[in-house]
Amino acid sequence: MKEILAFIQKEFWHIFRDRKTTLIVLVMPVVQIVLFGFAISTEVHNAVVDVVGDISDPVVQRIVNRIDVNEYLELGRILNSTSEVEARIRKGKSTAAVCFEDGFDKALTAEGKATVSIISDGADPNTAQMVTSYVSGVISSEQLSISTRTAGGGGATMRPNVQLMYNPAMNSSYNFVPGVMGLILMLICSMMTSVSIVKEKELGTLELVLVSPVKPFWIILSKLIPYLVLSAVNFISVLLLAVFVMDVPVNGSIALLSLVALIFVGSSLGLGLLVSVISSTQQTAMLLCGMGLTMPTMMLSGLIFPCESMPVALQIFSDIIPAKWFIIMVKKIMIQGAGISSIIKELTVLTGMMVFLLWFSIKKFRTRL
Amino acid sequence: MIAMWKYLLKKEFKQYLRDPGMPRMTLMFPFLIILVFPFAANMEVRNIKLAMVDTDHSEQSGLLMEKCASSGYFEIVDVTASPEKAQEMMDRGKIDAILTINAGFARMLEGSVPAEDAIPLGIKVNTVNGTRGSIGSQYLNACISSYIMSKKGGSIPGSAQIEVRETYLFNRFQDYKLFMIPALIVIAITMMCGFLPALNIVSEKEKGTIEQMNVTPVNKFAFIVCKMIPYVAVAFFMVFSCLLLAKIVFGYGCAGSLLDISIFTLAHIIVMASFGLLVSNYSENAQQAMFIIWFFSMVFMLISGIFTPVDSMPGWAKLVSYANPLTYYADAMRGIVLKGSSLADTWVDLVCLLGIGGLTTTWAVLSYHKTN
Amino acid sequence: MEANEKTVVIRGLVKRFGNFTAVDHISFEVSKGEIFGFLGANGAGKTTAIRILCGLSVPTSGEGTVAGFSIKNQQESIKKHIGYMSQKFSLYSDLKVWENIELFGGIYGLSDKQIKEKISSMLKALSMEDARDMFVRDMPLGWKQKLAFSIAMVHDPQIVFLDEPTGGVDPVTRRNFWEMIYEAASRGVTVFVTTHYMDEAEYCDRVSIMVDGRIEALGSPSQLKMQYGAVNMDEVFTKIAGRPGKQQ
Repeated sequence: MKEILAFIQKEFWHIFRDRKTTLIVLVMPVVQIVLFGFAISTEVHNAVVDVVGDISDPVVQRIVNRIDVNEYLELGRILNSTSEVEARIRKGKSTAAVCFEDGFDKALTAEGKATVSIISDGADPNTAQMVTSYVSGVISSEQLSISTRTAGGGGATMRPNVQLMYNPAMNSSYNFVPGVMGLILMLICSMMTSVSIVKEKELGTLELVLVSPVKPFWIILSKLIPYLVLSAVNFISVLLLAVFVMDVPVNGSIALLSLVALIFVGSSLGLGLLVSVISSTQQTAMLLCGMGLTMPTMMLSGLIFPCESMPVALQIFSDIIPAKWFIIMVKKIMIQGAGISSIIKELTVLTGMMVFLLWFSIKKFRTRL
Repeated sequence: MIAMWKYLLKKEFKQYLRDPGMPRMTLMFPFLIILVFPFAANMEVRNIKLAMVDTDHSEQSGLLMEKCASSGYFEIVDVTASPEKAQEMMDRGKIDAILTINAGFARMLEGSVPAEDAIPLGIKVNTVNGTRGSIGSQYLNACISSYIMSKKGGSIPGSAQIEVRETYLFNRFQDYKLFMIPALIVIAITMMCGFLPALNIVSEKEKGTIEQMNVTPVNKFAFIVCKMIPYVAVAFFMVFSCLLLAKIVFGYGCAGSLLDISIFTLAHIIVMASFGLLVSNYSENAQQAMFIIWFFSMVFMLISGIFTPVDSMPGWAKLVSYANPLTYYADAMRGIVLKGSSLADTWVDLVCLLGIGGLTTTWAVLSYHKTN
Repeated sequence: MEANEKTVVIRGLVKRFGNFTAVDHISFEVSKGEIFGFLGANGAGKTTAIRILCGLSVPTSGEGTVAGFSIKNQQESIKKHIGYMSQKFSLYSDLKVWENIELFGGIYGLSDKQIKEKISSMLKALSMEDARDMFVRDMPLGWKQKLAFSIAMVHDPQIVFLDEPTGGVDPVTRRNFWEMIYEAASRGVTVFVTTHYMDEAEYCDRVSIMVDGRIEALGSPSQLKMQYGAVNMDEVFTKIAGRPGKQQ
């Protein structure tokens, strides 16, 4: 026991002596969570919408005014003809254009029908669809007021009562902060671990320690403990920022959240150890973590792109990414206020991953060295 | 001096090809970019898991359910009479939305309109993911109104109708994959030309070979340029193989000129290479370089409009994105590939990219000392 | 020793890093074909001094020439006329033996034909003909050191700087290594070597001992032994470096 404590102490010394790296590792997640927590949002704000048509036409004018005051849309230019639309969109100056037919109001009153077309930048289908739906929303609210005036209410108000659960303000940080937490914790943790262990491997100091009378299992464990501590510090700082700066609530139990985080960090340590077993040079370890882990985690963990929309093969693949399970649980605990019974499946999966990763890499570690 | 370049280049190419991972990665990356990641990068909201709470138990409520199920957006997980049970399912994350059909729904459809009364339908959506929640409720609403319309016979007579037509330019099939492919190429080039050479330089620093080079008459400029050339070659290989692969697999060609793509790629390479050099100048060891690189690569990727629109960022994050070379490169690549933009459309991007490049190059050269 | 042709002349050299003075007013001269030993404990300023002489670092003040070029503003010319082998082993381990020779030959501006000749003559001299296609990383340390020394001499420099060249090498290889040094010196190459093996100091023509950035003793090994009344260089070194630090 005494030897192990001595080892742990030595490891701590080792890490903290490189002040600059320690600082980087501790400050980086703070900056990242603030940056990404605020900046990542799939909502569309301030989308520029051009108008083609006769602005003096009363109906057109009312619709244009509605676009102008809409919080998601920003009125762009009034264009003379539809032919200018494409060039503006191609240059990225506007996202969409609303084109009114000539004599819009007259057509509407005389023929009872007028046409408006919404042309949008389909290059980004997501934004295009959202902007189009905002604009058509604006138009249909004008339609509603026309109908109310002519037919005197009724009918069109037949909308069900919609209740927004958990996030009624539609705060996009509720969705992205847990994801960013998962990404940052996992990568910093595994990167730190793998790179420093491979460095010792390269220098040959690891062999020196492994021939000592202490069982290798304990040596490896004592190597992991300082990183566990660092990751815990990171988790706390990230959580504090999420709550106090990004206003993400913690509706569930903090103890449960910490337990989940601990298991997640454990599996990330296991992953880091696994990388250090596989790679023989620091550069390989870095590439494996920096690119091999970052890209799949970003793309497949449900951080940005919902797993439900992926093809089945990728959904299965995404199941083996620990961050996916962590993100699901964090959302449930922090935002939905779920208790342990609601996350039992995810918790089991993640615990299983942790045990497997640690067991497998420690076992491999001994035989490969 | 030209002879010296020959030997330096020979060295870099040999080292590149002998690296245990590099050549394989170079070949694998285009496939990942075209064949795997675009399928994951999908913002479309599909497979919304829906539970129905039906207390009306009428034929009409059954038909409404069928209507929702056949819309293709929903997967009906459960039909129950208990709101509590549905709520519990939502808490457990088994469902995304609840549609409640209360008693009186059938009566409402058959009878006259009870003018100001709320209709006996309710929607509850999980909005932890706001986008998914709001789009889900929009879809549900659309299903419901079209069902009610079909039963009650269209719109109110006598009122004028505005007919809305929707047109989507540039991406006929509204395929998100097409939107992501140029951006994913951007990410690959960034990694390839910024971060790998930086790591390479730092590791030469750690091994001491760079010191050996420094006592020789090798010009520092020549040394760095020769180091970059294999990466530049690979970067161009990746850009064009990705575009070719996209053409073969999806049938999506590049709408703009390949020359424009090459110009932007080269400009971006200059920015990233000098940035990588900057990082290697300021880091003491490979570990530090790695963390700094990783940090910046995350910022570059996430605050560039590649995944989420720049327009929806708060003001200060927009400023960050304006200082981010990927913002311009990705914007230009998307413009060229999807919209067929020419330099006349994208010159602002090019100017900004070159501006950043000029700044980073000057800084990198000033901070890179062979002697100190 | 040949006539007094000086290849290294240093006058009042100073290098400061912030408040720390790493090299404190050192002056010395080294003649052509001389083996000049540069001794001192770790942190005594040896490596800093060598880096200045090789043109890797600019002195804070002081004058000096190496191979006839100023250490203040003619670094690039110095680099063409010196060879350098550092304390860290610094050949490219993922290149083959002949490729390393070719690379450095090419860098120093040798023609393709000269390079070809160098490769065969060098391999022959090192009796490494069979190791021609071996990756440098697979060679034993002693071989690597000898190869690194030969490569440092690939362009027949006037001076060669060896920064602790024999660290971690077995005694037999070290003796071989010193034979190579003698051979080079006999061809008129000035050899500037740092070491902390005191028996190696005995092999040098002249030795300087640095303590806290200053040269505390300078002379041939026999002179120094006499001056300090010591049996061997080890004792000389202990007497000098073991003295209480600089008195202010």
